[in-house]
Amino acid sequence: MSIAPLLDARGLVKSLGGKRVVDGVDLTCAPGEVLGLLGPNGAGKTTSLRMCYGFLRPDAGTISIAGHDLTSAPDAARQALGVCTQDDTFDADFSVRGNLEQTGRYYRPRIPDLKQRTDELLDQFGLKEYEHHMPEMLSGGYKRRLMIARAVLHRPKVVFLDEPTTGLDPQARVAVWELIASLRTQGMAVVLTTHYMDEAERLSDRLLVLQSGKVRAGGLAKHVLGDVVGEHVVVLPVNTMGAEGIQAWLTSRGLSASTVLANWHLPLDAAGLAAFVAAFPTLRYEVRIPTLDDLFLALAEEKSSGSRT
Amino acid sequence: MPTSAFIPAFAWQSRAILGRHWRVHLRKWHTALLPPLMEPLIMLLAFGVGLGSQMTALTWNGTSIDYLTYLAPGILAYTAFMTSFFQSLFSAYVRMHFQKSWEGQLTTQVRLEHVVWGEAFWAASMATMYAAMVCVVLVGFGAFGSLTLHWPWLLAALPLLFLGALAFSAIGLLFTATLPSMDHMGLPFFLVIMPIGFASNTYFPLPDLPVLNQISLVNPLYHLCEGLRWLLITGEVHWHLAAAAGLFVLMLLVLIPINMRLLRRRVFGDG
Repeated sequence: MSIAPLLDARGLVKSLGGKRVVDGVDLTCAPGEVLGLLGPNGAGKTTSLRMCYGFLRPDAGTISIAGHDLTSAPDAARQALGVCTQDDTFDADFSVRGNLEQTGRYYRPRIPDLKQRTDELLDQFGLKEYEHHMPEMLSGGYKRRLMIARAVLHRPKVVFLDEPTTGLDPQARVAVWELIASLRTQGMAVVLTTHYMDEAERLSDRLLVLQSGKVRAGGLAKHVLGDVVGEHVVVLPVNTMGAEGIQAWLTSRGLSASTVLANWHLPLDAAGLAAFVAAFPTLRYEVRIPTLDDLFLALAEEKSSGSRT
Repeated sequence: MPTSAFIPAFAWQSRAILGRHWRVHLRKWHTALLPPLMEPLIMLLAFGVGLGSQMTALTWNGTSIDYLTYLAPGILAYTAFMTSFFQSLFSAYVRMHFQKSWEGQLTTQVRLEHVVWGEAFWAASMATMYAAMVCVVLVGFGAFGSLTLHWPWLLAALPLLFLGALAFSAIGLLFTATLPSMDHMGLPFFLVIMPIGFASNTYFPLPDLPVLNQISLVNPLYHLCEGLRWLLITGEVHWHLAAAAGLFVLMLLVLIPINMRLLRRRVFGDG
C-alpha cells in the first residue's frame, strides 16, 4: 500500500509576463521523503514552488497540502506548510529569538508551547548563544539556520527549501544538510531546490528535473541520469587528433557533445560506447559514470539545440 | 466593488500584523514619543503664538478669532494626514522592499491582503495616537489660558481622525505599490502632500478664488480641517464633517482594491 503524499500538486500551469513558465507540472512528496527539484535557471522551479506555498496563484491545476486544498482551505493548508525562501526574509526589528516568537504569532490555532518550542529550536539549530542578537549580525550559515528554524516552528508537515545553501561555505553547507536530514527523520515531506548537484544527490530520495516549465525526468538519481544523460560519459580534449571525425560520427548518430573548458563530454549508452570504441580504437579518453553535473550540461545542450531549430 | 478586498480587514491575520507593529513601537516608545509631542508644540508656539502675535485677528465664519485658535484644529487634522501618509509610504516601503519582512510574513498563514490591512491599520493607529498627543498639547495651551476650544469634542474627533488616517494611508500605500525606487520618494510629496496641504485651510484661510473653492470641495483634508474648526471653535457638528467622512469612505472603497492588485503585482510579480 502506497503512503498518501503530503504534497500533491497536479497539472500546475503558470504564465508570467505573457510567457508560460510552468506548463503542466505534477509534484508529489510523501512523509519522510526529500524531493529534489532540479533544472537550469528559468526552468520553472521557483515558480512551481511559489505556487505550492501560496505566493502565486496557478492559472490551472490543484495543490493539496496534507489533504487541504490550498485555494479553498488556505489557512489549513498554510498551517501545514513551512517555507525557507531563497532570500533571507527575517524581521529586522526582532532578535533571533524574537523572530521565532513573532513568526509563531502568525499561526492559528496558536502554538500552545511557543516559548518551549522556540527554546527547543534554538538548541537544535545551534542558535542559543545568538538568541538575543539581531539576525543581520549572524553569519550566512547561521542566517540560513534561523530561516529553516522559522520554517519549521509550527511543526509543518511539508517544508519547502528554496536553494537553502546558496552562498554558504562548505562547513556551513554540511551543517544545513544535517538539519535537512533531521527534518526527514521527523517525518516531514521536504521539497528542495538547489543548484548544487552534490547536495541534490546526497539529500534527495527522488529527483524531479524541470526544463522550460515541464517535467523532463523524474525518479531516483540513477534513473534520471540514465533517462536524460545515458549510462556513460566519455571525456576527451577538444583538440584531440581527428576531432573532425568524432564530430562527424556524433552527427551521423544524432548525438552532440557538451564542451566544458577544453573538454568534450559525450553522454553515451552501452551500445553507443561500444560503437565509439570500435570507431576510434586508438583514441585516448576517459570513461566515467554520469553525474548530475552532466545532467545540467545535457539539459543546457538540449535547450540550445531546441532554440536553434 | 470587490468585497474580497475588505473582508480580510476583520481577519485575525490583519490584527497579528498590527500587533507586530505595536510590539516594535512599544520597544522604542521613549524615543518615538518625542517628535509627536514636540512638533505640534513648536508649530503652535512658532506660528500660533509667535506669528499670531504679529497678526491682527482672523475672520473665520464671520467671526473674529485669534490665529492660535484658527490654527489648532488645522494642526490636529494635518497631523493625522501626515503621520498616516508617511507611515504607509516610507515605513511600509522600507519593510516591503529593503527589510523584506513582508515576504517573511507571507510564508505563514498571513496573506498579502492581511499585510496591506495591517499596514493601513497601523498607519491609522499611529496617526490617531499622534493626534491624541496634539490634543494633550492643545489642552496644555488651554490650561495656560492661551486657547479656548470646546474641549469635550476633542475626544469625539478621534474616531473621525482614525477614519481619515485610514483613508490617507490608502494613498500612501498606492505610492508604495507604484514607486519604482526610493529615489522617487519626493514625488508623492509634490503630487499629494503639498497640493492637499496648501488647498486645505490648515495654516491659512484660502483666498476666495472660484478655482480654489472648486478644488477644496474634493479635498478631504479641507473638509476635515473645517469640520474640526466648527466642532472645536463653535461646538457645532457641521456638514464638513459628513463630507470628510464621505470622502474618506470613498477613498477606501476605491483605493484599497487597487492597492491590493498593484501590490500583488509588485510583491509576487503576479496579477
